[in-house]
Amino acid sequence: MKKIIILLTLVLSLYAGVGVGDKAIAFELTTLDGKKSFSMSDFKGEVILLNLWASWCGGCKKEMPEFFELQKEHKNGFKIVTVNIDKSCDDAQNFMSSVEEELSYKTPFISLYNPSKSLAKAYGARGMPSSYLIDKNGIVTAVMVGSLSHEDILELEIKIEKLK
Amino acid sequence: MQYIFLTMLLILTGCSDTLVRVMPYEKEYFAQDKMKQSPLAERTEQQEHIFLIREASAGGNSSFQGGCGCR
Repeated sequence: MKKIIILLTLVLSLYAGVGVGDKAIAFELTTLDGKKSFSMSDFKGEVILLNLWASWCGGCKKEMPEFFELQKEHKNGFKIVTVNIDKSCDDAQNFMSSVEEELSYKTPFISLYNPSKSLAKAYGARGMPSSYLIDKNGIVTAVMVGSLSHEDILELEIKIEKLK
Repeated sequence: MQYIFLTMLLILTGCSDTLVRVMPYEKEYFAQDKMKQSPLAERTEQQEHIFLIREASAGGNSSFQGGCGCR
C-alpha cells in the first residue's frame, strides 16, 4: 500500500508545474529575429525574470511596456528573458515593434521564440502570461500567473534587489 | 498489485489537466475575434461568464481579457 501511495504521488507530481524552490528548466532558443541563440547557462550568476507571452494575449499587451521600463531601470545583474509562443513569428515581431514605437526605444531585453510551446508545457504555465523570477543559482523564487500591474512590478523590484 | 497500479495510473492520467483541458498557452485560436460569442466586447464577457456558470464547465473560452485564457 505504501508503495502505491509513493508511486501515485510521483505520478501526480509529474503533472505539477514548476513552483517556488524548483530548479529552472534548461532551454536553448533563438531570438525572435533568429539571429542569436541563448540557453539557460548564458544567464548564470544573474537574476532572471522569465516571461512566457503571446501576441494574442490581452494580458501580455498590458504588461509588456512595464517590462521595457523595468529592464531599463535594472541593468546590472538582472535580465528579463521573454519567450514568445506564437505560431507566427511575424505576429510576435509586429507586437514588439508596436511596443517599441509606443515607447520610442528598442527592446532592452532578450526576446526568444518558442513556437512548439515546449517551455510553457515544461513549466506547466497555468495562465497567459506567466512569469518566473529565477535567482543567481537557477532556482525559481517566485511564480506570477497573469499580467503584472504597475503595483506588482514595484513589488517585484524589491524582490529583484534582494536577490541581486 | 501491478494491475491495480496500472489501472490507477490510467484513471489518474485521464484526470490530468494537461490532457483534458485546453491549456492557456494553447488558446491561440480561441483568442480570435471570430470565436467570440458577440462582437460587443463587454457583452461577450458577460455572456461567457454566465455560460461558464450555467454549464459548470471549463470551456475553451474565458471571461478574462477577451477569451484568450489570459488572466
